[in-house]
Amino acid sequence: MAPLVPSQEELQRRRIIGINAETVTNIPSTDFPGHWPGESHSWALDKFKNGFNVEFHRNDPYEASFSLIGLDAAVANAFRRILMAEIPTLAIEYVFVHNNTSVIQDEVLAQRLGLIPLKGSVEGINWMQWFRKESEEDDGTPADTPSDFNTVVMHLDVECTINADAEPGEQDPRKLYHNAHVYAKDLTFHAVGRQEEYFAGDGAIQPVNPDILIAKLRPGQVIQLEMHCIKGIGADHAKFSPVATASYRLLPDIKIERPIIGEDAKKFAKCFPKGVITLEPVTSAEASRPGSGYEGHAGELKAVVRDAFNDTVSRECLRHEEFQGKVKLGRVRDHFIFNVESTGQFESDVLFLEAVKVLKLKCARWKRGLSDLMA
Amino acid sequence: MPGSVHSDSQDQSMVDAGQEQPEVPIQLDEKRIVVLPGADEHNASFQFENEGHTLGNALRYAIMKNAEVEFCGYTIPHPSDPKMHLRIQTTDQTTALAALEKGFSDLMDLCDVVTEKFTESRDRFNEESSNRMQV
Amino acid sequence: MSREAYQVPSMGTQNAFGNDAGYTNAMATDTPSVVYLCGECSARVPLKRGDQIRCKDCGHRVLYKERTKRMVQFEAR
Repeated sequence: MAPLVPSQEELQRRRIIGINAETVTNIPSTDFPGHWPGESHSWALDKFKNGFNVEFHRNDPYEASFSLIGLDAAVANAFRRILMAEIPTLAIEYVFVHNNTSVIQDEVLAQRLGLIPLKGSVEGINWMQWFRKESEEDDGTPADTPSDFNTVVMHLDVECTINADAEPGEQDPRKLYHNAHVYAKDLTFHAVGRQEEYFAGDGAIQPVNPDILIAKLRPGQVIQLEMHCIKGIGADHAKFSPVATASYRLLPDIKIERPIIGEDAKKFAKCFPKGVITLEPVTSAEASRPGSGYEGHAGELKAVVRDAFNDTVSRECLRHEEFQGKVKLGRVRDHFIFNVESTGQFESDVLFLEAVKVLKLKCARWKRGLSDLMA
Repeated sequence: MPGSVHSDSQDQSMVDAGQEQPEVPIQLDEKRIVVLPGADEHNASFQFENEGHTLGNALRYAIMKNAEVEFCGYTIPHPSDPKMHLRIQTTDQTTALAALEKGFSDLMDLCDVVTEKFTESRDRFNEESSNRMQV
Repeated sequence: MSREAYQVPSMGTQNAFGNDAGYTNAMATDTPSVVYLCGECSARVPLKRGDQIRCKDCGHRVLYKERTKRMVQFEAR
């Protein structure tokens, strides 16, 4: 028996998650074998391929926005989680303080330094390997020795001095003294071994934003320290996360079920962000159609959904008496609007591709481990 | 954790920066699936170490898509224990292990499609926006 | 041992427990000077044992110890 194929309307209905004033309906996905009698929802790659789509809205190095359509939340969420927690980047991990006479304490300074996003040639970052720390379980595995392939060395060496050339009566400490403010740009990278090739020129390890304030100094105060940067993942510490944010939202869906006309329409439009609802005149054809709800309203303005994409789904329109039963809010279950903001090491779109790669690699690795279970 | 360690004389510069690879490349394949007690051919719980909702839920979805699987669910029994349990119950047509393997394969296929479509769409978008810039 | 009898250890080789002359002896030997920093003008003030605790430049009476010359390691977490 050939499996039943649900109608297009039915499929569309299943795609919408209902949003009411106080409740949410139709939440879990139902596209699994056995859920709908007679229908087949078995995994089929070609079916997935046909149904899956990507639309780009924005693609800048530091921010990308795109829609993944035709995906289950489980998978979309896996991508999002991997983006934040499982893509490795470089960050300062060990700080060796030789001298710090500034007012900021060593441990606070070290913590601040760790959070500075770094960038360098992608080729070099990929070439670098993990620095294995001493195992916490005390099983005797020693930590790796820092080498060119697992550690990047940076230095910070600043001393605040009085600026003899400052104007008399100058109040600004930045002009009154040299190095009154220590910025991320004061971090210096020292290539070792093969790092000289991998991190040459523009590919040098450097802070993404040179203007991050690290500390403030007064004459006579000195900071001298050495930093070791290693590769790590966001699951271990947020400083290793390659993204500032990686989030998704579901595409909003607004259905006007009964006409909203005249002053009501204006009020209705105000319930939404600009551009979501537009006002159009009722055509005479509509007005002449009996039972349409527009009878005798030709020329008046009616509310029309123009672009639900920008809606915030605030549910403001559900609070007003006059719109009761006229509008239905929802979200499209399988339309994920991703927003990925890179911290600078990788381009945002590349990050997403990395995330997909990580998930695939994870599967491949576990699957390989399965073979000895089979034996 | 300040973890301050005093060492007077030693310079903290990298001890060895020579042209040397680590003797043993770091083992990433030490992952082991454990079958929890009480399993038979069609019904089994698997334990994954160092995995969480990321793989758990995605894998659950992929396995549930298999028509021969009657039940699939995952749990993280304790939040401070980095372990994930996956339960699979199948019909007589297949085994739990086979269903798990198919789940991995299907998820990997899915990843390939996502990569392909994503790259395609991005390249098209980049091309269109560069055209728009020129006009 | 009474509180008065306590001797700061490592001050010279003569261990003069119970010896009243021990204290004066220690004064007489060359004590190393320790550098302090003036709390007012940040000047370096080397002080020996028994010196008045006072900055030589500005007369300020609050002095601070210098930071350790040792390297201190931290984890950036």
